[in-house]
Amino acid sequence: MLPNSSQVRGWIMTSNRPSLPTPGSTGSDLSSSTSSNNSDNNQIPNLHSLQNSSSQLSIKSNSWRASVNFGSKGVSVADSEGFSISRREINDDDARLVYVNDPLKTNETFEFCGNSIRTGKYSVFTFLPRNLFEQFHRVAYMYFLIIAILNQLPQLAVFGRGASILPLASVLFVTAVKDAYEDWRRHKADKIENNRLSSVLVNDRFQHKRSKDIQVGEIVKVSADETIPCDIVVLSTSDPTGVAYVQTINLDGESNLKTRYAKQETLSKVPEKDVISGLIKCEKPNRNIYGFQANMEVDGKRVSLGPSNIILRGCVIKNTDWVVGVVVYAGRETKAMLNNSGAPSKRSRLETHMNREIILLSFFLVTLCIIVSACAGFWLKRHQDELDIMPFYRRKDYSKEQVENYNYYGLGMEIFFSFLMSVIVFQIMIPISLYISMELVRVGQAYFMIRDDKMFDAASNTKFQCRALNINEDLGQIKYVFSDKTGTLTENKMEFQFASISGVDYSGEKIEFYGEQGAYNIQVDGQVWRPKMKVQVDSKLLKLSKTRNDTKSSKEIYDFFLALAACNTIVPIVVNTSNPNEKLIDYQGESPDEQALVYAAAAYGFMLIERTSGHIVIDIQGERQRFNVLGMHEFDSDRKRMSVILGYPDSTVKVFVKGADTTMFKVIDESLNLSVVKSTENHLHSYSSIGLRTLVVGMRALSIAEFDTWQTSYEIASTALMGRAGLLRKVAINIENNLSLLGASAIEDRLQKGVPEAIESLRKAGIKVWVLTGDKQETAISIGYSSKLLTSKMMQIIINNNSKMSCKKSLEDALITSRKLINVTRASEDDESSVALIIDGTSLVYILDSELEEQLFELASKCAVVLCCRVAPLQKAGIVALIKNRTDDMTLAIGDGANDVSMIQMADVGVGISGQEGRQAVMASDFAMGQFRFLVPLMLVHGHWNYQRMAYMILYNFYRNALFVFILFWYVLYTGFTLTTSITEWSSVLYSVIYTAIPTIVVGILDKDLSRKSLMTYPQLYGSGQRKESYNAKLFWVTMVDTLWQSVVVFFIPLLAFWESDIDSSSLGDLWTLAVVFIVNIHLAMDVIRWTWISHASIWGSIIATCICVIVIDAIPALPGYWAIFNLASSGLFWICLLGILIASMIPRFIVKMFMQHCKPCDRQIAREAEKFQNAMEITRNGEIEMNLPHR
Amino acid sequence: MNNQVTNGASKSKRISKKPQYSRFTQQELPAWKPILTPGWVIASFLAIAFLFIPIGLVSLFASERVVEIVYRYDQDCVPEMYRGNVTAYIQNSLTNKTCVENITVPKKMDPPIFVYYQLDNFYQNHRRYVKSRSDKQLRSAAYEYSTKECEPKERVNTTPVTWVPIVPCGLIAWSLFNDTYNLIMEDKVLDINKKGIAWKSDKNVKFGSNVYPKNFQYGAPIGGGKLNESIPLSEQEDLMVWMRTAALPTFRKLYGKINTSLEAHDTITVVLQNNYNTYSFGGQKKLVLSTTTWIGGKNDFLGIAYLTVGGICLFMALNFILLYVFKPRPLGDPSYLSWNRKTVS
Repeated sequence: MLPNSSQVRGWIMTSNRPSLPTPGSTGSDLSSSTSSNNSDNNQIPNLHSLQNSSSQLSIKSNSWRASVNFGSKGVSVADSEGFSISRREINDDDARLVYVNDPLKTNETFEFCGNSIRTGKYSVFTFLPRNLFEQFHRVAYMYFLIIAILNQLPQLAVFGRGASILPLASVLFVTAVKDAYEDWRRHKADKIENNRLSSVLVNDRFQHKRSKDIQVGEIVKVSADETIPCDIVVLSTSDPTGVAYVQTINLDGESNLKTRYAKQETLSKVPEKDVISGLIKCEKPNRNIYGFQANMEVDGKRVSLGPSNIILRGCVIKNTDWVVGVVVYAGRETKAMLNNSGAPSKRSRLETHMNREIILLSFFLVTLCIIVSACAGFWLKRHQDELDIMPFYRRKDYSKEQVENYNYYGLGMEIFFSFLMSVIVFQIMIPISLYISMELVRVGQAYFMIRDDKMFDAASNTKFQCRALNINEDLGQIKYVFSDKTGTLTENKMEFQFASISGVDYSGEKIEFYGEQGAYNIQVDGQVWRPKMKVQVDSKLLKLSKTRNDTKSSKEIYDFFLALAACNTIVPIVVNTSNPNEKLIDYQGESPDEQALVYAAAAYGFMLIERTSGHIVIDIQGERQRFNVLGMHEFDSDRKRMSVILGYPDSTVKVFVKGADTTMFKVIDESLNLSVVKSTENHLHSYSSIGLRTLVVGMRALSIAEFDTWQTSYEIASTALMGRAGLLRKVAINIENNLSLLGASAIEDRLQKGVPEAIESLRKAGIKVWVLTGDKQETAISIGYSSKLLTSKMMQIIINNNSKMSCKKSLEDALITSRKLINVTRASEDDESSVALIIDGTSLVYILDSELEEQLFELASKCAVVLCCRVAPLQKAGIVALIKNRTDDMTLAIGDGANDVSMIQMADVGVGISGQEGRQAVMASDFAMGQFRFLVPLMLVHGHWNYQRMAYMILYNFYRNALFVFILFWYVLYTGFTLTTSITEWSSVLYSVIYTAIPTIVVGILDKDLSRKSLMTYPQLYGSGQRKESYNAKLFWVTMVDTLWQSVVVFFIPLLAFWESDIDSSSLGDLWTLAVVFIVNIHLAMDVIRWTWISHASIWGSIIATCICVIVIDAIPALPGYWAIFNLASSGLFWICLLGILIASMIPRFIVKMFMQHCKPCDRQIAREAEKFQNAMEITRNGEIEMNLPHR
Repeated sequence: MNNQVTNGASKSKRISKKPQYSRFTQQELPAWKPILTPGWVIASFLAIAFLFIPIGLVSLFASERVVEIVYRYDQDCVPEMYRGNVTAYIQNSLTNKTCVENITVPKKMDPPIFVYYQLDNFYQNHRRYVKSRSDKQLRSAAYEYSTKECEPKERVNTTPVTWVPIVPCGLIAWSLFNDTYNLIMEDKVLDINKKGIAWKSDKNVKFGSNVYPKNFQYGAPIGGGKLNESIPLSEQEDLMVWMRTAALPTFRKLYGKINTSLEAHDTITVVLQNNYNTYSFGGQKKLVLSTTTWIGGKNDFLGIAYLTVGGICLFMALNFILLYVFKPRPLGDPSYLSWNRKTVS
């Protein structure tokens, strides 16, 4: 089957993001991640990406969204394509050759990049041109520039040179200073990085060398707790087996230790003594931090290298004295540097709507300009004969030899010029400065979100993070929340709860092990070692596990716990405590499930105390036993299981397998003991129905022949250069069969604090919460109940089908039922009971990307709750797209794991939980925080505020600029339609820079329409954002009518008052300037809800600053308006005019506002009044829901 | 080795990243949260009404007190024979431009009485016009040659190569108003004081005392008045008044002041020189004698505007009183919240 190009394209692009499950994530999230686009051929797309890596870097999320295929069919098609690529060899064109310990030869033909890094963008010389170039990429600046250039043409010079350049210059200057500062900080950081010392092998001795001088091909030695300076292939380590432990927290944020291995062929060599030489052939630099493909020729032998043999720049060596490695990628070609790119930018809904209104405003602008130029044309035409003599026109220039026209280019050109001139004069009709103010406001809002101590997670010590700076206000308009379950609703801190061992359920009484004696410990060299985490144990099982006899049940319990302790990738680390005689064993691993299992095994007396690549040591009831780890098949999401081949001290060999029940029962030999299998299945069902995560454990003893065949194929597979993952999987499938069932474990993943309350609040706020999880249906439903997502009154519609036809039928049935039910509820007016839809991933495969989508959407939009279980990562995105493409409603996706990345990027707002599962979700998200419950303050409080503030600020900016333009326009009608402004050009320029800029920004950052308390108490207040109450087309038009009225008042009151008087144009201009600035600021003052000292200072300060500026401008003798303001201020008429303008312009607004407040109060208004007048009474009565109170 | 791990772990736990609490960062600064209650609404309407109505009355009264004589002479002062071809009359320097006319004082006028000339349909704010001046040149003799902005009345070509600047240059100065008025009452010349009609700031700073007119009105066409080349610009008050360009196409400019009082029904004979050409573009010329009050000249508009606004406010205050009485709404009543209303209905 040939895939169509779009599918392949989509797949390649997705797999290149750092988001998908990775081959390294061994056993992680066994029961929850059911990703169908699996990880095992992850390296293949990377190879592919080598060929077109440049194009991939530029692909933005939008194009990715467009071409991706959400059903899993497309993915499986792409899979096969992947395999075909995998069979290709790395050809020499695509490879980089590194001669070990021979940097000269390595760098001879190809200039590999050195290790010095430059994150700084500019140098002293390139700063100016490059920064300007980058700044002018923005449309706003181009607009400024074009207007400024137009103004430089002598025919069009409306403003003086200086005045016309000033707005652009000031904006450019501010941005340039900001950029320069940031760049300076980057340079400083680079310098520190580049000058760090590391040991490099030079002439067979390790010498200190600056990090920036390291070259590809050199051998470096890194000691414990040092940071790796560049990407190195491990040659040898202090560990005799060649293991090195690294922490990758700088790279992907995962704090647990990961293991890296040196190859057998090199680990015994000592660089100072032995001559190390060889040739590494590896991929060209790419950004996949989880993939590496290479081979190495050492001593004539060819060995393959994989991701476990490379340590990347930025990692820290832990628990290993030293590591020696050869540099393969350096400097900006390291994977860490290649991954240094920002999050994709989204545009907020409000801004999209605003742009629509800006188009309207530009229509206004063009209309005004056409009116002016047309009138100018008529005027010139009518006075054509008089132009020569008119003292104020004087077309003819008699001073020259020949009498010629002065500055007159014919009627047509004059009309055209006056059009362009009016564009220059009325330019601020399009509020370009608004874009800059919005950026500043968003920075301010982000500051307050980050600093909010209600969104600080003490448990993980994480602050709220604002990664995207341009969608703050979207948080106030969310209609749908899509949430992951594991790690998002739940803590992802696994606790071992129950076990079912060979058909016997051990879920009885628990003993609390909180005393010192009770906890299991072992004696090592007179010291007490105990596990770091205490586990509650079942007393019966504990007793059974301690008795060692040869009864069948005892043996089975022994095998079961041995499997738990051995079949994993956990690394035990011994940690000192304050007591010198006591040490703690900390189990470090990538999967919290595995950690829980190992801790449980330890509590029952099977304590894992040592793991190297070749063996493990387990303390079994005080007796130390060493097992050889002969092979390990890591977890992949296709098999959904992992296995370990253990060599016993008595040289028997057994394979232990653990995995998800669905795949495990397929490989268990049921004929061995059917009743055990049946009862285990029952136990599994009951475990999962109370929300536990289950795993099934199996085992098989291997005969020598079996083992030998396995070993040969395992070795072939693990040294294969291409398609290794696929080969290994085949080997694994061959050995993981005919297992005997040992038992099953149940792990609890507890709900996070405050989740039910948070969901309750969100639903009250009119937000639909959908849960998308990889877990089983039973688990999902039980979590649904415990998180109050589902209530007993709800009717559940479960869609669980295996074919398209049945899907269609159940969708149709469900639609009919839901319609009926909704009619019933409408009649009974009982809004409590509603419909919950529960649908699984298999059904979604048939529904998404087919004509059934429409029906699903219709059904889902009728349901109060939607639970999707067993969904693959791409399906999550598909469900988000289902809503996003069909409605205008805003969506928010929240998740913590790699499997949520696609959904986070798809949704309008993506929120990452910076929790246990690494940082991939956070890297892809717009906002990141520690706990699910912070969603409530984030959306209901900050989202609400941000939306109200931003919406008001946009409208206000439209008003402010349009008002000024209208005043200029009215005046132009009285100047013979020539673009004269009586307001001085400096005031025109300073109007949006000094006179009125700061208050809007301050209000946009600081004003609060309602207190946090009211917003939390009445989540329904959030509805104002969803209904777009603060910014819509109606408000825009109302504002524009108000603007028109105010401009008429501002312009015509002085005009009529000074008609037929001896006022000069500068004085009248000053009056207009002051009047417009006063009313613009008073207008704002009328809308400010919370007057802090900052708002007082900014508003009154702006008025005072304006007065000072006007006075200063009029104190310059070189300007025509010298001293005008002083003469003006000495006349009573001026003051009377000013007062009259202020009141008359505000009165209609005031009347309408007061009338609406009284007769049609909005919710926010009432809540505000309640806050002020009845606060104590009302809020304490209803305000039980305080999100940050400790729960349970 | 293990030691370091422990230390590192416990250290990172100890340093909490919890944001420092401050009222500012938590957005809890003390704030004044005004809410306009019915009382405040009515009070503010009433306050505006009670402020505006008296001001309106006072300004109307003040405007009423102003005595103003406006006499349009541009049509009357053209001799009958030239009525058909006014431009020829005004452009001909040989024709007699003197014009005599009688005006009657309607009411008693107390000094100072301001004498204005009023031009209609004269765009002193026209773009070409307002730009055509050099403030530098006016201020100091050193900048005599900065005439860049003054085109087309920039300079005079003496020979094809060299040129000398016009001082004061530009269209504004060139078009200086040059009608003159003599007022005679009962055979006595009324003294029109032409000192102190310009702004002090203009005299002292803006117009230089070392700048003398040069080449002014040299060569055709002549735009208007001529200047005495022996008097520095800082003494040429008519020029200063003219150079303060008017804001609107209808404007008055101060011609002089009369310091004697005029009784009602006095007849004044105006002897004027009708020199200034407004005929070519349909402008009008008026002579205005006016007293002033604190509000300036005669202008009823502001008084009426204030009375209107005050009246509206009074009316709105009544309306709101009625509204609050007949349709009261308790402030902050949660039963008015949209979600509560829904369940009630």
